[in-house]
Amino acid sequence: MKNKILNIKNLSKSYGAFKVTDEITIDLHFDEIHALIGPNGAGKSTLIKQIVGSVKNDIGSIILDQEDITDLTDVERAKIGISRTFQVSSIIPQFSAIDNIVLSLLDKSSKTFQLFKSIRSNKDLYSNAKKILKEIELFEKSDISASDLSHGDRRKLEVGLALAMDPKVFLFDEPMAGLDESGTNMMINLFKKIKSNSPILLIEHDMDAVFALADRVSVINYGKIVATGTVDEIKKNELVRDVYLGYEI
Amino acid sequence: MIVEKIINKWILFFLFLIPVLGFIFEEPYYITLTTKVVILGIAGIGLNLALGYCGLISFGHAAFFGLGGYVTGILSFHALNSELMFSWPFVTSGSSDMLIIWPIVILSSAFLALIIGFLSLRTTGVYFIMITLAFAQMLYFFAISWPNYGGEDGLSIYMRNSLPMINTMDPLTFYFICLCWLLIVIFISAKLINSSFGMAFQAIKQNEERVKSVGIETFKVKLLVFVISGTITGLAGSLYTDLNRFISPSVLNWQMSGEIMVFVILGGIARLYGPLVGAAFFIVLEQTLGSYTENWQFWLGLILILEILYVRTGILSLFEKKLKYEK
Repeated sequence: MKNKILNIKNLSKSYGAFKVTDEITIDLHFDEIHALIGPNGAGKSTLIKQIVGSVKNDIGSIILDQEDITDLTDVERAKIGISRTFQVSSIIPQFSAIDNIVLSLLDKSSKTFQLFKSIRSNKDLYSNAKKILKEIELFEKSDISASDLSHGDRRKLEVGLALAMDPKVFLFDEPMAGLDESGTNMMINLFKKIKSNSPILLIEHDMDAVFALADRVSVINYGKIVATGTVDEIKKNELVRDVYLGYEI
Repeated sequence: MIVEKIINKWILFFLFLIPVLGFIFEEPYYITLTTKVVILGIAGIGLNLALGYCGLISFGHAAFFGLGGYVTGILSFHALNSELMFSWPFVTSGSSDMLIIWPIVILSSAFLALIIGFLSLRTTGVYFIMITLAFAQMLYFFAISWPNYGGEDGLSIYMRNSLPMINTMDPLTFYFICLCWLLIVIFISAKLINSSFGMAFQAIKQNEERVKSVGIETFKVKLLVFVISGTITGLAGSLYTDLNRFISPSVLNWQMSGEIMVFVILGGIARLYGPLVGAAFFIVLEQTLGSYTENWQFWLGLILILEILYVRTGILSLFEKKLKYEK
């Protein structure tokens, strides 16, 4: 238990008779990237939504850093250290890239309710935001409106928003979708670097990236975890080959 | 941005010029008309904070406008009649001093906005619109059925409320009092919009789920915006009562909420000076077309339709485009 930062037990969610997640038990250790893979509609994104609190669980519990957060709201969970990216890019479209990052820094710096001081005069916020933009290779595009960024750059920006929160855990939902090779490599290197501070639960369809990054992999199918293990163990697992990976790996 | 600043300066210039010309040419009617523009502009700027910048489509801002008006009217009514307002739990008399009335209006409008906001902000979209509308209509029917303060006929206060050493009955003096309030409201709104709090509420309008995910308590942010917005609109209601020396339930009606919304949409949503331009345009239409036909609002409707279909960003943006083109 001590080496687990996130511990999810028996998490379930049904819509009518359809069980989207079915008694999922999964954990995330310190210093690790735990990848969650599975076919479309398997329940991966719903599980992420349950962990962040935007979808209510029918049953189950979520322990973050030995604290039961099952009954906390989505905002409370974000405040105590769960940071996420969305399956479809979710940014503030009319804000510049740097303002998106600054928004993400507001709560941590307790400046949300600063009513009359100009946001531009918060030099520390903007210098921190610039550091993050450099890290995600968007520094040159700091002042470009987020809606004018390319799809790949929006994915990077989303990761930047998550980084800015300096959370206890990251939940990344297909962060590499639509990225070119250099973008994917940048993400892989970045995730390897940040996982020691904040471990990552990663949903990703790019298997090359998953196998390059993951310390452990869990496979979900029809809302159930069907296997968990190291990359090698998962590659060799007959059931996983059958339901998701296929035989050509 | 620079073009918008130039336009804003021109707007302020005309706000100084028109009443002064009215004074020079002894046409107090134009001073009163410009005063009305300024007061309704303040109400619109209040709504614009919630609607334009935070995406809260309130259809109940008449509640704050009317409350501000009635608080002013009731305090003044008791002061003029030398009647006590309450004798229990403590003896309270009315007041005709604006320096006493304004803080009471501000506090009561803020309190009402806190209650309405606390209950209605749990909903979104059309439900939010309907709840805010319902609150305003409740107050409207309450005012109609309250005979002590004129009921359906409204309440006349005969004398405009006073300020020490200032003749508030003089139209130009009262105009500059209202203009001072307008400048204060614009200053406060500009500060809010450019602050970290402003960043949060403008982000909520665009993507509330994302704002929540970065740990910002969007309910509290929206509630505070709603309270500030309601307070500003309430203050406008107070000035409106003093302008007319009369208050009636009609200012609590849904039509008033609609008119304030029209000022915002006409002038330009999420533009600081937009509601002021919208209010001016509305009143010019009312005065010009209204002299030809009772049904002048038919033409207002037509203009609104054309604007929403072809401009969307309000009258101010038309000026902006023209200025850019000329440059």
